[in-house]
Amino acid sequence: MSGGGSCSQTPSRAIPATHRVVLSDSVQLPPGDYSTTPGGTLFSTTPGGTRIIYDRKFLMECRNSPVTKTPPKDLPAIPGVTSPISDEPPTEARQNHRQNSPEDKPAGGDESQFEMDI
Amino acid sequence: MNNKFDALKDDDSGDHDQNEENSTQKDGEKEKTERDKGQSSSKRKAVVPGPAEHPLQYNYTFWYSRRTPGRPTSSQSYEQNIKQIGTFASVEQFWRFYSHMVRPGDLTGHSDFHLFKEGIKPMWEDDANKNGGKWIIRLRKGLASRCWENLILAMLGEQFMVGEEICGAVVSVRFQEDIISIWNKTASDQATTARIRDTLRRVLNLPPNTIMEYKTHTDSIKMPGRLGPQRLLFQNLWKPRLNVP
Repeated sequence: MSGGGSCSQTPSRAIPATHRVVLSDSVQLPPGDYSTTPGGTLFSTTPGGTRIIYDRKFLMECRNSPVTKTPPKDLPAIPGVTSPISDEPPTEARQNHRQNSPEDKPAGGDESQFEMDI
Repeated sequence: MNNKFDALKDDDSGDHDQNEENSTQKDGEKEKTERDKGQSSSKRKAVVPGPAEHPLQYNYTFWYSRRTPGRPTSSQSYEQNIKQIGTFASVEQFWRFYSHMVRPGDLTGHSDFHLFKEGIKPMWEDDANKNGGKWIIRLRKGLASRCWENLILAMLGEQFMVGEEICGAVVSVRFQEDIISIWNKTASDQATTARIRDTLRRVLNLPPNTIMEYKTHTDSIKMPGRLGPQRLLFQNLWKPRLNVP
């Protein structure tokens, strides 16, 4: 995997909407020799070549993408890890969760799993 | 580049039976033409971002391991202790896995999640790790889920700014505490390890008195600490297999 390789295949996309970021401490700034911005540079050229950089906020926004609602087809069923520990058949349980999940919530057995306490 | 990548995968051939049940191949995710078509030993196809998905700088693989106390330490039982959960290439594919896995704080027993660049095994003997080390942060119970999420988001988003140095991250759920760590390639590169430490402080939002400890993997081998069993796990799992053609 090289940065150059993956980036050359990246389709162009619109410039992301700007948003304001309040810094309380200079430590929140990225190191000065990289051309990132604290608020969310998506694609950035660095001295070592182009690297794909995402900040936390942007990554969190992608969590609601429709594709994330269904588990990967080959997700191994590991009780207590990728499927419930309970007696019910794991695959059935997972499907039920998927069907019952509201659109804006990631499918998963445990709602508290997605609490953000920051 | 690809050759090295494939060679690492081929090392993996020993866990063939794992691959059968835990194949890292994805559905809806586009698969490149089989690069290694000629190699009958490898059934894996490259994982690539789907259309309109946001590519990551690297592909990553989730692993899960769990120690089963009291079992004999045969290679067979070790093999049951580590599982590849899957590989992803885009932000969306990451969430697809993550949203269908429990968070570390909800794991039971003596368990670990590992998230490593595809092709790097979460073991000290891997070429990418053998000269490396890791930052270790011990967390009181209740913090692991949030810290792990912040750690892996920073890693996937290339927030560490240390070039190719990052290998992967681990969260270890233990009896009285949880441990998160991030592994890098070159333990002797102090500029890199210092930058990783500073980034950890920034992205994890740790209390000021949190102790961060850097351990080279060779030190860990000489003086196995509380993560010793993990070391033994991987040693037993992989070492006998490295010579398998």
